[in-house]
Amino acid sequence: MKPLTKEQLAGLAQLVGATQEHELNCHDCLALAAEFAERQLAGLPLNEALTRVEEHLAVCPECREELLALKKILQANG
Amino acid sequence: MVAEEVNWPAVLRGPDNAAALAGLRAVLLNGLRVALRERGDVNDAHLEDFAQEALLKVLARLDQFSGRSKFTTWAHAIAINVAFAELRRKRWRDVSLEALLADGRELTEPATLGRDAAGDDEERARIIGALRTAITERLSPKQRAVVAGLLEGMPFDQVVDLLGTNRNAAYKLVHDARRVLKEQLVAQGISSATIRAAFAP
Repeated sequence: MKPLTKEQLAGLAQLVGATQEHELNCHDCLALAAEFAERQLAGLPLNEALTRVEEHLAVCPECREELLALKKILQANG
Repeated sequence: MVAEEVNWPAVLRGPDNAAALAGLRAVLLNGLRVALRERGDVNDAHLEDFAQEALLKVLARLDQFSGRSKFTTWAHAIAINVAFAELRRKRWRDVSLEALLADGRELTEPATLGRDAAGDDEERARIIGALRTAITERLSPKQRAVVAGLLEGMPFDQVVDLLGTNRNAAYKLVHDARRVLKEQLVAQGISSATIRAAFAP
């Protein structure tokens, strides 16, 4: 394994720092992603379950990438 | 084409669902086109495959649609997940479990997780030092391997496949690892706020 870069180290530290005792997993996040994206784009408040989506996105770059793509579709569809 | 206002779950479950299936497939295909427009590694054939696989997944999960969002948004989320999972897998197809475990072992080496990369910042160096100690002393070989793979940019689905487990079990493995690392840092007086401040972009 190559030495980790500053960015990777910072990423690891931030992941550890953002870790919560109870977190959604990717499957739970996907189930809530549509509601989360619609409410976020509409500027509506998030309930507790959707706040946990936000916490999951902080530690999961893959779900973050997918949510961005979903929002892109919603924005394109007006 | 089926109108957006239609009750998608009902028409998809109905006996004459051919138009609904074709309509939803077209909706998913259009969405994927928008989402993946800027990627050079995706062609029309890929998009068609993703849309077809997504359609099957949507049908298989119809009972899970809660109605708290538009049906098409929910279906797009599944299509995006299908497409991105496949694209990530392609890039890492040839990596072996042995390589992943070796990377995990090397994560404990100073050369890999070096204080040097923290730069001149003393606080960052202290946090990195504490992290390396925690990784070495508290994580299992499997946890180290998964953390190393993810740091290298390996997709989570690929890690799941290599470990021969399922996604939820792998997520628990990673979550437990992060929790252990966090506990160790907190025990040394390094809080989440300290980490955020030290590594703020």
